[in-house]
Amino acid sequence: MPPFVYHALVGFIVLNAVIGMVTYVTLLERKFAARMQSRIGPYYVGPHGLLQPIADAIKLMMKEDIVPNLADRWVYNLAPLVFLIPCILIFATIPFAPGLGVADLNIGVLFFLAVSSLEIVGLFMGGWGSNNKYALLSAMRAVNQIISYDLPFIFAALVPVVLAGSLKMSVIVDAQHGLWFVGAWYGLGLLAFLAFLVATLAAENRVPFDILEAESELVAGFRVEYSGMKFSLIMLGEYAHMVGTSFLGALLFLGGWLGPGPEWLGPIWFLLKALFVFLVVTWVRWSFVRIRVDQILAISWKLLLPFTLLLLMVTAYLVARSAGGA
Amino acid sequence: MARNGSFLGETAQLVGAVGRAMGMTLRNFFRRPVTVRYPTVKRVYPDRFRGILALTYDKDTGEENCIGCRLCEFICPPQVIKVEMLKAEKRNWAKTFTLELYACEFCELCVQVCPTDAIIMLKTFDLATADRRELLLDKDRLHALGLQHEPSWATGNRLRDMQAPPKPVRAEGKAAGKAEPAEPAE
Amino acid sequence: MPDTEARHVVEIGYGGNERLVMNMGPQHPSAHGVFRAILTLEGETVVAVDAVIGYLHRCHEKLAETLTYVQYPSIASKTDYVSAMTAELAYVASVEKVGKIDVPRRAQYLRVLMAELQRIASHCLWLGTWCMDMGGALGGGATIFLYAIRERELVLDLFEALTGARLLYGFHQIGGVRYDPPAGWAERCRQTVDLIERRVAEYESMLEGNAFFLVRTQGVGVVSRELALDLGVCGPLIRGSGVAYDVRRAEPYSSYQDFQFTVPVETAGDCFARYRVRMVEFRESIKIVRQVLDGLPEGPISSRPGVKSVGQVRIPKGEGYTRVEGARGELGCYVVADGGAKPYRLKWRGASFCNLAVLPHIIPGHKVADVVAIMGSVDPVFGEVDR
Repeated sequence: MPPFVYHALVGFIVLNAVIGMVTYVTLLERKFAARMQSRIGPYYVGPHGLLQPIADAIKLMMKEDIVPNLADRWVYNLAPLVFLIPCILIFATIPFAPGLGVADLNIGVLFFLAVSSLEIVGLFMGGWGSNNKYALLSAMRAVNQIISYDLPFIFAALVPVVLAGSLKMSVIVDAQHGLWFVGAWYGLGLLAFLAFLVATLAAENRVPFDILEAESELVAGFRVEYSGMKFSLIMLGEYAHMVGTSFLGALLFLGGWLGPGPEWLGPIWFLLKALFVFLVVTWVRWSFVRIRVDQILAISWKLLLPFTLLLLMVTAYLVARSAGGA
Repeated sequence: MARNGSFLGETAQLVGAVGRAMGMTLRNFFRRPVTVRYPTVKRVYPDRFRGILALTYDKDTGEENCIGCRLCEFICPPQVIKVEMLKAEKRNWAKTFTLELYACEFCELCVQVCPTDAIIMLKTFDLATADRRELLLDKDRLHALGLQHEPSWATGNRLRDMQAPPKPVRAEGKAAGKAEPAEPAE
Repeated sequence: MPDTEARHVVEIGYGGNERLVMNMGPQHPSAHGVFRAILTLEGETVVAVDAVIGYLHRCHEKLAETLTYVQYPSIASKTDYVSAMTAELAYVASVEKVGKIDVPRRAQYLRVLMAELQRIASHCLWLGTWCMDMGGALGGGATIFLYAIRERELVLDLFEALTGARLLYGFHQIGGVRYDPPAGWAERCRQTVDLIERRVAEYESMLEGNAFFLVRTQGVGVVSRELALDLGVCGPLIRGSGVAYDVRRAEPYSSYQDFQFTVPVETAGDCFARYRVRMVEFRESIKIVRQVLDGLPEGPISSRPGVKSVGQVRIPKGEGYTRVEGARGELGCYVVADGGAKPYRLKWRGASFCNLAVLPHIIPGHKVADVVAIMGSVDPVFGEVDR
């Protein structure tokens, strides 16, 4: 078949798979969090709650779509889309196995990081277009926070790039055949992985950095005026971004599809590793109280950014010395 | 953030604190959940549970216990009980007895004052409905409820016996001070 | 001295060009009830707070004039509904003082036991809701909330075994108490209290030393000693600011002088100090519970016969005021009796009502996120505030 149709088909399949996985990841998070809180999560809808995401999706689709009277209609209506599209687009660059992916770009990691930062625009559009002081306040805080944490995020993600010598994701995974990058250089990789996790928490607006939503202060933040399908698009975008960065983390640091066993087991290992990263982030989320916005920014600029910059420079030096010098 | 003390020391303390908090949540992950899966599983209600109200029949004769004395109507703080007395030769009866369960406080004062143990509380509360008129209980409904569900331990006489200061005769009769012998153990 | 400036506004030298007036309205996930705080913001900093209360006014004081002395105790528990045992105790002790009615020793000990168990339960709720306000309903705060509620449910199970109710008990009556603990209750109480002591240690390990928690609570919402004494605040709020004032020590009621316990005092005056005071109060209450269970005397539980009619208790002419140490501070009840079965006038001194007066003084200058932390550490219950 013509390559255009082939690629469109692959993209369509991956898109559906991603959306399906993201909805079930919400259920996983709810059950996991519930067990940590001495309770059971969703239980009644379907056996052990397995149909809960479907029930939630149907409910959200049937809700009334409310647009506030004085809201800026174009901005308000477009914001969920502008938020969602980058969050799903990042999955286009992730290869699930050698050769199995929508587009294994030469500049894969760069594309991923750049596109994932575009969600800020959608976020601020949502906060502005809602014509609501709470939403605006939270959107301003969120822009602050995400911009501040994108830099450490990028630097932490660049450490494996430097170690592998390429931005192409499949090359990065192949370079981890001997030892995963999380164990590289006697703890350097581990530090980079930890910095990556912390920056992920902040870039995803997860507790302890979730002043964006801050239910007890700002009651759902920039999402407060959204209902129905638009709200579900925003939720989908958030979780898709979360899962996407988990996949990135598994790929960059934990060896992607490498694992014992036959070749076709590769994507399964990849999925498990990504879920592991996701669960660690969830575990942190449900264990801590949040910190104030000025403290969040202080951590980013005064602590995390110098730290990741230092890590990157040390990595670059070590790689250069081992490749060229010695 | 202000840093007093060595950088390494502070970092170590932070890592320790983070580890402790996350360890606590992980520990709870492996504990049994405390959820009771109502309504498939119901928890065990204690004997003195204050549930919905009901009227009783006499165990021996099968007659209604209520003599229409209206003491419960007078003592009810939100005034949800309305009784009309029906006089007869041997004893009085209640002609009508309405109780507005939607406004009831469940304070158990009506049970406390009843001289004949007619009105009692049951060990259930599950009377939820979509129509508030169903919660305006009349005499027949109250008697039916009394037969359907398990009664609580507390009746008027038992409560008053528990609260009364000991008279000299009682103190000799019973061995200990106020242990209520008829009550089952917890 | 007239109140020249009731509204306390802080100048922070803001460079921007407008002040935002934001309403943290009566319906809010962390308003602790129904409380309206009109915040004036400059950027992210609060510069003035106007507090509006009265959303939960239910005319308790007028209601007390229409209900007799035997009917009102179960209504009295609805003022401080989170800590119902102490609220009923305030009313009942006040009427007994005016009427010069004795309370048998066993009843006094049972009252102390229930008040201390109630203090434990109320502090569990405080800890849970405070952490949830600070940590979000979908986050670590909710985790601590569920753990604290899990422990509170154990205490409520004890109360349910004793009275039959879980939140609003009607346990006290004029002259004593209404319910005697059933067989096996004392053993169960001991086990529950042991478990709660271990769990409190777990919460402390989760929170203290945790930099996130410390950075949210230390130095935030400092109530200076002078301010606390001027405004007449009470309870953990004043004990966190260096004043060792506890009604159980200042004016012992209901046999509190028989028990050994320390009154925790911290001098910092910030949210962390109040947190420490309440965590120590957990342990002190557990100590008192154990002492009461060990030394519970036999005897009647009431000096008057059980309630048989609505006008049974008549108090001769007189007036008097009694205060108790509720979980939030000094809860007082002033009764004016005129010889009948109903009081002529009843006045409640709500602990939270006086504690809320600090908010317009200590919040300005902090950020929006601190407002919820401070309100949580003040721990208001609006049944007491609005009555």
